[in-house]
Amino acid sequence: MAQNKTASGMRPKLAAVVTSIRLYSHPQHIVDRFLDGYGWNGTFHHPKMDLVGLYVDQRDEGDLTQELIDRHPGLKVYPSIAEAVTLGTSKLAVDGVVVVGEHGRYPLTATGQAMQPHFRFFESIVDVFRSSNRSVPYFNDKQLSSWSWSQSKQMFDTSRQMGFPLQGGSSLAVTWRIPSVEFPAGATVKEALCVGYGGVDSYDFHALETIQCMVERRKGGETGVEWLQAYQGESFWKAYEQGVWPHSLVKAALSRSSTLMPASQIFTDVYPSVKQMRELVPDPTAYRYQHRDGLRCTMLLMNGLVRDFTFAADIEGQSQPFSTQMYLPMPDGRTTLASFFSPLVHNAELMFLTGKAQYPIARTLLTSGLVIAGVDSIFQGLRRLETPQLAVTYQPSPESTFWRS
Amino acid sequence: MLTRRRFLGYSALSSALLVSRPLLRSGFAQPPTGATAAPLRLAIIGSVYHLESDLQSIADRFLVGYPFEGNWHKPNVQVVSVYVDSLVPKFGGPLAWGWRREAVRAAPHTQGKSGAHPGSSTQELEPGPPNPPVAHSVRQRPGARGLGEESPENIGPTTDLSRARSQEFGFRLCRNIPEALRAGGERLAVDAVITVAEQGDYPANDRGQTLLPCYDFFQQCVQVFQEEGRGVPYFNHKQLSFSFPEAKQMVETAERLRFPLLAGSSYPVTWRLPDVDIPFGAQVEEAVMVGLGAFDGRDFDALEAMQCMLERRKGGETGVKAVQLLEGDDVWQAGREGRYSRELLSSALSRSDTPLGLTLLDGRNQDLVGSGVLPQLVKNPAAYCIEYADGTHATLLILNGAIMDFNISARVAGKGMVSTQFFLPPTPNLTNTACLAAKIEQTFTTGKTPYPVERTLLTSGMLEACLDSRHRLNQRLETPHLAVKYQPPSESQYART
Repeated sequence: MAQNKTASGMRPKLAAVVTSIRLYSHPQHIVDRFLDGYGWNGTFHHPKMDLVGLYVDQRDEGDLTQELIDRHPGLKVYPSIAEAVTLGTSKLAVDGVVVVGEHGRYPLTATGQAMQPHFRFFESIVDVFRSSNRSVPYFNDKQLSSWSWSQSKQMFDTSRQMGFPLQGGSSLAVTWRIPSVEFPAGATVKEALCVGYGGVDSYDFHALETIQCMVERRKGGETGVEWLQAYQGESFWKAYEQGVWPHSLVKAALSRSSTLMPASQIFTDVYPSVKQMRELVPDPTAYRYQHRDGLRCTMLLMNGLVRDFTFAADIEGQSQPFSTQMYLPMPDGRTTLASFFSPLVHNAELMFLTGKAQYPIARTLLTSGLVIAGVDSIFQGLRRLETPQLAVTYQPSPESTFWRS
Repeated sequence: MLTRRRFLGYSALSSALLVSRPLLRSGFAQPPTGATAAPLRLAIIGSVYHLESDLQSIADRFLVGYPFEGNWHKPNVQVVSVYVDSLVPKFGGPLAWGWRREAVRAAPHTQGKSGAHPGSSTQELEPGPPNPPVAHSVRQRPGARGLGEESPENIGPTTDLSRARSQEFGFRLCRNIPEALRAGGERLAVDAVITVAEQGDYPANDRGQTLLPCYDFFQQCVQVFQEEGRGVPYFNHKQLSFSFPEAKQMVETAERLRFPLLAGSSYPVTWRLPDVDIPFGAQVEEAVMVGLGAFDGRDFDALEAMQCMLERRKGGETGVKAVQLLEGDDVWQAGREGRYSRELLSSALSRSDTPLGLTLLDGRNQDLVGSGVLPQLVKNPAAYCIEYADGTHATLLILNGAIMDFNISARVAGKGMVSTQFFLPPTPNLTNTACLAAKIEQTFTTGKTPYPVERTLLTSGMLEACLDSRHRLNQRLETPHLAVKYQPPSESQYART
């Protein structure tokens, strides 16, 4: 049922369905890039498609929607999702949808997860696909559902059943790498790790996608995850000191960081001892999990120690850990543009133009499930949880899709 | 050039200050376990050892290690002595006497449309500076407090850290350069030297050049080398000198005494986004570099970053035949006249992550060239126009108010535009200096420089000539003295692994 217009040489029309548009929110970064263009491949690039319909779920203080419409007369805001994707008609009237379920203010679940509306947006859009007997490529920023495994799975299954490309995930998987290296395809890997920052049920997803976009390229492809255990507070430091995750990989990852907080005020770049890390990181989180083929992965959120995402893995046959930084130009004083949204949007454009997902949504299904399992483990007293539902198997895209040109 | 009198002043001082050699090694300074080679003994000479000073950022790498190729690398180096120019009680600092040198007051050696190149103008020197005072050592200076006595909240951007480092790492804090090189003894006692001269209390000349004492540091080291009959590998941070004849003399001296001389900025060796270089031997038609700063030292970094890419063009480096520094509306006019390519300018700007103006307001992306907004954002633009001897031309545009990073785009025959951002990691880590430390260490351990010092020589001369142009009301200046020819290494030397 999936179709695209590009074969006929016409500019695809897009509709965006988003939570709220405020400065430095995901919807602002993504919608702006479709409308205003962005630097790409050494030129100022204007996407060869027109974003014409917009639905904004919450328009409150700081809302930039009106400003967007004023600047872009071709864009129209609709009061409902259905109207945005039908452009006020009775049938699907666009060639692709851009969905951003991040940001905005939504209620919390019993485990404290924000009930972001990815699934509600999805259902409304798919209703139109069904009633129009036509479906189009679907970009979904970040997680599938941020808080419900069954919703995530349903989104994944629906896209397969109806045959429309679904692509999303984190910008971490597609941004610059420093150094600009790819995980060797078909490599055997026993341990992989990401050191990141940010909160549970938020940046943990980015850290998990950082790991997953790499290890999915290992020998045999992805096999799914069989268990997960979270660590926080004292249990984190005890596990750290016992070597539950390899210190060599922590060191390799931190040696790729460019935001390593000096443990001493009179130094500017110095490697910390575990004791110093304890002082710097009052509230650490780890998710330790095992894939069904035996690969063990560790995600560390170390607020206070770093403000970037770094990856390290032990690859068979390599004497030193493989490592890199997934670099985020971050408008928190470091930059003014969140340029890591550019490769995310660029890959979405390619999907809209080709009608093919550029990387597997199964990756994002698995990482969405890992976040939910991680939060569950924390909620259940840092218990190890078996995760039979995460038996997600897939093969990576053969081409690298991270930003390198 | 130092006078004998000036030199003897330092010598007498150093022998009077013989004290037992401090050998308090901290765990940080220990060679890696299993290393059998004796650590390389290092003297570090600089202007100020403040938090986030260039000296601190670079010197610390050799004390506490640095990130390198996915590991926290601990060089097999022992810093044995440090000289910090700002700590020496001075009349503006003994080395600030460099500003009295004839070279500085001499007519600029770049020439306008008429007049012959006067050649080296450094022959005649003022009488040397007075001997540095001996009565007060750094520690005894009235009112001076050791850093150990500082409470952490008192550590500010201008707090000297060298005394605390000396205590922690057991190096000798020296009161003059010969003492640093001899580590308190009679003979040369180090295997390598790092010098980092940077903005401090140094005066500026009428062309706006800060009279950094790079040359003075160098000459004092060379005196020791000559007495010893041998030199050791030497790193000079950033420009060799504000004066091209001095810079040239430094390069010639290193050649004559046969010691490896590495120099320059961290920008040529930092990471690039994306990881690209000018294809070696490619025909480069034009390049445009964009950045910020101007007349503050970062213009040197930017020019050298540009140079490290352009030197790879077909035929290698041929030197610079003329320069012109444009300012204000003349910069935009030059763009309209095609003196630099607007397409390359747009391309370079497309690599920036820091557009200002409306991006600050609502986070939007902007085509700064296409929208025509650039002149509104940049009130005082500057263009450093470089004409190479082989006809290639390059322009460094300083666009304060439009962007806050450094990006380049070059048109390469048959390849289109090659563009990238020189990645400057955030404070406080500033890991671009870790990239530089790796090159310094490589020079010291192999005795070979990974890239030619002529790059820095030419860039030092380009900057000086551009500032001359500015001083001469933005006149175009021919620069026959900048016929610096060299071949770069075919392998790219910036951080990639």
